[in-house]
Amino acid sequence: MTETRQRRLVLAVLLGLLGLGLAAGTAVGSVPLPLRSVLASLAEALRLPHPGAPPLGPAGEAILWSARLPRVLLAGLIGGGLAVVGAALQSVFRNPLADAGLLGVGAGAALGAVLAVNLGWASELFLGLPLAAFAGALVSVLAIYLLAHTSGRPSLHGLLLTGIAVSAVAGAGTSLLLVATEEFRVKAVLFWLAGGLEGRSWAHLRLAAAFIVAGVLLLWLLGRLLDLLSLGEEEAASLGLNVHAARLTVLGLAALVAGAATAAAGSIPFVGLVAPHALRPLVGARGRHLLPASFLGGALLVVVADLAARTLSDRLDLPLGSLTALVGAPYFLLALRHHEGRL
Amino acid sequence: MMAGVRYPARRRFLMAALSALASAPVWAAAPTPASPQRIASLNLSADEILVEILPAERLVAVTRWADEAGTSNVVGLVPAAAYRFVKADLERLVALHPDLVVVSEYTDADFLHLLQRSGLRYHRMTGLGSPSGVRTAILDLGRAVGTQDRAQKLVARYDRILGELQRRLAGVKRPRVLYWSSGMTAGADSAIGAMIETAGAVNLGRELGVGGIAPPGAERAFAADPDLILVGSWPGAEASVKSHPLLGQSRAVREGRILTMPNELLVALSQYTAEGCWHLAFRLHPDRIPGPRP
Repeated sequence: MTETRQRRLVLAVLLGLLGLGLAAGTAVGSVPLPLRSVLASLAEALRLPHPGAPPLGPAGEAILWSARLPRVLLAGLIGGGLAVVGAALQSVFRNPLADAGLLGVGAGAALGAVLAVNLGWASELFLGLPLAAFAGALVSVLAIYLLAHTSGRPSLHGLLLTGIAVSAVAGAGTSLLLVATEEFRVKAVLFWLAGGLEGRSWAHLRLAAAFIVAGVLLLWLLGRLLDLLSLGEEEAASLGLNVHAARLTVLGLAALVAGAATAAAGSIPFVGLVAPHALRPLVGARGRHLLPASFLGGALLVVVADLAARTLSDRLDLPLGSLTALVGAPYFLLALRHHEGRL
Repeated sequence: MMAGVRYPARRRFLMAALSALASAPVWAAAPTPASPQRIASLNLSADEILVEILPAERLVAVTRWADEAGTSNVVGLVPAAAYRFVKADLERLVALHPDLVVVSEYTDADFLHLLQRSGLRYHRMTGLGSPSGVRTAILDLGRAVGTQDRAQKLVARYDRILGELQRRLAGVKRPRVLYWSSGMTAGADSAIGAMIETAGAVNLGRELGVGGIAPPGAERAFAADPDLILVGSWPGAEASVKSHPLLGQSRAVREGRILTMPNELLVALSQYTAEGCWHLAFRLHPDRIPGPRP
């Protein structure tokens, strides 16, 4: 099989699996909805012809359209976005174990979220918490950029180390604010920190989609630039690339996508590591190929994880972030061992 | 290889001192009289009970929650001289020389260990998850502080309120009530669940199979179609139900049946539990209960 055919096959399989995952995620949940009725309701909304099916009823329609559909779509969008960010950063940092955490996105978003809860914005303003988390993520990335540039153009190591320092400061701020936050408010932030999509609506989807879709598309269009960056600074520069500007563009877009994803769902770890790493051997490392495959793979991973979070226990919703960590952490350790074995 | 290591004299002295501190109480309690005279409370339930069963001069410390409107039922009743604990602070506790410290079942084991090592006597309140458990806890605390008679009077009033409530609610049609707070509900074995049931309602959390306070999942909560949604008076609690993508469309919300209950009564784990049950029963069955206070 040629490489092109293999890539197309992988993309087709991922697309098919994602379609199945979205259908299952929409029909299956703590309250089961008949798949035929779900499909009929969707077709009717899209004004598509459909064979008749028993109606869902008012409760089923409300569950489908107000909670489950936006939640499933948001899961796909967030998973896809985080996976694309992971793939892009792995090219920039030339390290298959890089992800959005290096940019301080998670730590900054957590600080923003806790601040919103502490000051009461989360309970008084609609979308107050995700907007504050998004702002926190962007401020954190900006701080890393500005601090790393105080002594001229930074190396990748300089960016990494600055990222660690800024994340530590943001983490300390989060802890301080948590201690000073009234007890009844703390629960809201704990839910957010655990990562999950409970209570997310079309408004959350629209907010996240605005940044994730735009950021992912731009990163995909910059695929060739990612390939050059993955060659290394000197080689990329020798091929005429303005490495500094290119790196800054990719990091900025990655921060926008990861910040929006984290703001909407809290911490969803390991998606940015697992999806690109698993798909790179199948579709190759070139950005134009790896990014779409990563998007589909990441989306599938989070849609399935969210389905599991809603259905594994018939009494409780489990935290989505914990489930992706349970799958991702063992995979990460295997990847690390494999990576070390190659060095 | 530790055998060959020789420490400088100053370090040896420091290690010996630390070792002595670790093996002996840092503060040896004076011989305690039969009834403790200096009582420090480290939980709000005890604050609320002790204010009523102790002479003011014997209560040397309470939690800062005791003065917080919307959390405490004894705002303005705690003697000004009593120290207010912001957190469980062993150093400050030792400095107050209490002869009894009242902790709750939620006080963490590490802190209890520290209390023991410090030679401080403590009484741990347990079983506060139900009205009958609260009753027993009040009597136990009365015995521990040596004011059994006052505790019994408090419990007699508590029993009268709950008995009167039971009499007035006999045969009443019980609405199905869902407690909701940041995605959590109160199920079986929870104080709020017990309060809902005592107040003449069906606790939907128990019907959903939830134990304690746990997240049932919004879809399941919505599909259960509660008659009424109960929330605390925390800022934004009612708004968060109304703006929830699914619960916001529930019959209870559409028909305006979100019941906001004063926090201090909703979370009371003291004699005020009975007042909380009464208040909720009044809100649920105004035709049977004459007013919000017993």
